[in-house]
Amino acid sequence: MLKNRLFYFIPYGLWLILFVGAPIVLMFGESFLSMAHHFTFANYQNFLGSGIYLQMMFNSIWYAFLITVITLLISFPTALFLSNLKYKQFWLLLIILPTWINLLLKTYAFIGLLSKNGSVNHFIQLLGFAPQQLLFTDASFILVAAYIEIPFMILPIFNSINEIDNSLINASYDLGATRWQTFRRVILPLSADGIRAGIQAVFIPSLSLFMITRLIGGNRVITLGTAIEEHFLVTQNWGLGSTIGVVLIVAMVITMVLTRERKKRGRK
Amino acid sequence: MVEKQSRWANLYLIIIFIVLYLPIFYLIFYSFNAGEYMQNFSGFSLKHYGELFADNRMLQIVLNTFVVALLSSLLATIIGTFGALGIYGVKNPLMKNVLLSLNNILLVSPDVIIGASFLIFFTLLGLGLGFGSVLMSHIAFSIPIVVLMVLPKLNEMSTTLVDAAQDLGANSWQVLTRVILPYLAPGIYAGFFMAFTYSLDDFAVTFFVTGNGFSTLAVEIYSRARQGVSLEINALSALMFIISLLLVTGYFFINQYNLKRKKQYKKGRNG
Amino acid sequence: MAQTIIEFKNVVKSYEETQVLKGVDLTIEAGKFYTLLGPSGSGKTTILRLIAGFSSATSGDIIFDGQRINDVPANKRRVNTVFQNYALFPNMNVFENVAFGMTLKGVSKGKIKEKVTSMLGMVQLAGYEDRSIDELSGGQQQRVAIARALANDPEILLLDEPLSALDYKLRKDMQYELRELQQRLGITFIFVTHDQEEALAMSDWIFVMNEGKILQNGTPVDIYDEPINHFVANFIGESNIIEGVMREDYLVSFAGKEFENVDAGMRPNERVEVVLRPEDLDLTTPENGKLVVTIDAQSFRGDYYEISAHDDDNNEWRIQATNPSIINTRQGLTFDPEDIHIMRFDESEDDFDARLENYED
Repeated sequence: MLKNRLFYFIPYGLWLILFVGAPIVLMFGESFLSMAHHFTFANYQNFLGSGIYLQMMFNSIWYAFLITVITLLISFPTALFLSNLKYKQFWLLLIILPTWINLLLKTYAFIGLLSKNGSVNHFIQLLGFAPQQLLFTDASFILVAAYIEIPFMILPIFNSINEIDNSLINASYDLGATRWQTFRRVILPLSADGIRAGIQAVFIPSLSLFMITRLIGGNRVITLGTAIEEHFLVTQNWGLGSTIGVVLIVAMVITMVLTRERKKRGRK
Repeated sequence: MVEKQSRWANLYLIIIFIVLYLPIFYLIFYSFNAGEYMQNFSGFSLKHYGELFADNRMLQIVLNTFVVALLSSLLATIIGTFGALGIYGVKNPLMKNVLLSLNNILLVSPDVIIGASFLIFFTLLGLGLGFGSVLMSHIAFSIPIVVLMVLPKLNEMSTTLVDAAQDLGANSWQVLTRVILPYLAPGIYAGFFMAFTYSLDDFAVTFFVTGNGFSTLAVEIYSRARQGVSLEINALSALMFIISLLLVTGYFFINQYNLKRKKQYKKGRNG
Repeated sequence: MAQTIIEFKNVVKSYEETQVLKGVDLTIEAGKFYTLLGPSGSGKTTILRLIAGFSSATSGDIIFDGQRINDVPANKRRVNTVFQNYALFPNMNVFENVAFGMTLKGVSKGKIKEKVTSMLGMVQLAGYEDRSIDELSGGQQQRVAIARALANDPEILLLDEPLSALDYKLRKDMQYELRELQQRLGITFIFVTHDQEEALAMSDWIFVMNEGKILQNGTPVDIYDEPINHFVANFIGESNIIEGVMREDYLVSFAGKEFENVDAGMRPNERVEVVLRPEDLDLTTPENGKLVVTIDAQSFRGDYYEISAHDDDNNEWRIQATNPSIINTRQGLTFDPEDIHIMRFDESEDDFDARLENYED
């Protein structure tokens, strides 16, 4: 069997080394290189020393936080109500379906919807207000990002609510709990793992959005994602880009640690 | 959790569904616009579909996108399935956890990081950017998805199944091809399917590792959207949506049918 | 004497620190129905896995038809297994499952079909060829598993607690069927179970195991009537086990009295354990009883009453009686000299057999 296991591992192991290990190591190494490929701490000094990047980091975290909160507030009731429907698997599928439409196409739709002569502005005019500049604002960028992420938040929450044994709910009512108390003390704690998974699935990608930022938020470099893209593909300053990447990786690890599943432990 | 819920809850759900689908239907609606912009619907026309089918560059890019998706998901499925078998065979729990964590790194990493680090990697190797680098990147980020879809099936498989096959005279190759792989088939298909959709949907990674000569749909739309809106893209989205819809409903009914069949057997057994 | 087919010579199996088999010797002859009986963790399934080739012995020899087979892989052994959970391949239908072994060997299609048909007929599943596995009931899956194993023409069929998942009635039926099948085919069956009733009902020969050792082997009657020690007496059927002293040959004292019995070969005044089976005890009037007991409780068991009582020395007694008794009354207890079975402490199986042989003829 040993020979077999090695055989299984050869392609997979190569993948682990070449596409998981090597790129991270390379990015870390690159972050210590100047544009002339000399070893330097300048990138980190640049990042930490200039207000621009710290501001950008703060922006990214703040936007990602807003996107996550908005998505969670919309998604939790949706998941809860969905789990009460008769053909819930079918409705869930309808929630997932939009994720199959290419991200770019959905973003593109919003360009049309939010543009100066677009439908939203038509609606605003019908209500008697002057047309607004909706595109290229922070609010529009956050809303579009939240729209994109909603299914990824609903799915894990729905799964965890759906797994709750019916008899637990009945037991709660049986023991005298009201609907609200049942929700607070049974459903919510039991769906906590789903909420954590949802937050992970939304917060981490939101930290590094660049496409939506560019198209909807205006062609501005305001988040870490856009900064990385800018330095890698426009200014060709890979060292600084990698430094920002390393910062993002650290932020990601912190998020993972904060939202990881708590070990189940008896109360003291 | 089945209990009657209030009208408000249902109203809420209706609003959510409208919000989710509004942008998509908006796109499709304007694909039939006789005018040139995604506003002021000036009459029904199929001319943007005509433009789409006459746009050889766009058709080539659609073809590219599907070729990359198909090839990458196929290769990722093979490598990922073997990887899952390998991880399953590791008995040391610490080692297993380390492997699983490594496996998941690419799943949780932001696309920008994956794209940028792959770009450094390919450049260092001196590989030209283009079809090859895009394909390799797609394989790379699809492998962990396949592993995650196959591994639960493996864990669910009773080890006596392997014992039984050996007992009946199967050598390890026969055990693999006749018992284990057929057993894993649903997980493998699901993994392939997921890898395929991930690849079709990817923008950021491709955007980093594609050169000038090669483009996929998402990258192309990005560059066109920045230049200005063309309803040809709406026509394309309408077609893509219909294809997705067909795939999803097909998948749903096959699933439903299987479930029903299983339930009927159970009934037969108890009755 | 039938031909020996499997022999274990001082076989040890350890997993890291723990020894699950502690030097097992056993001999299995062709054409009989053997049972390995013991509680879970006793090592019985380990023996089965060693014979099948799913795991390898840490030390010792496993001999099959005179050849050492320790290093022969499972797929090369002429031994087939019926698994506890049946292990039917869910991706194949009934026919494909039964045909699996033959298709690996490249048997011709016609022959396979013929064999599968006859195997399914044998296990009374004719016409089930095209059914999928999840369409079958537990009992039917069981039969497919048996047919699949036998279709490979094994010299030995190993059965790993195959009846444990079935309900009581079906289990009883399958016991008869398996026994009948074994006698008809003349193949060696090695059956693993923790159910003593099953073992007694089906086997030609039983190995009683505990903690990685074989404690006793013999025919069901031998083991039931003359258990070697406390564990075996308790595991096989219900027993009253009382401490006593062997005064001399054929005279034992327990519960404050001396009784005539049929055992011999011990040292004078040796401390022993006395076994009396509940069904061998009868209740009578106090003056006719060999012992006097007070009735504590009784419960109705269908074909008998199970009564628990205690004597004046505070020994607990279990009695199976055809008639009900009255709680808290004093009753006499009678039994025959041949109902008394004496067990020595720490007697090995060889010494036990030698002693029995000595005084029995």
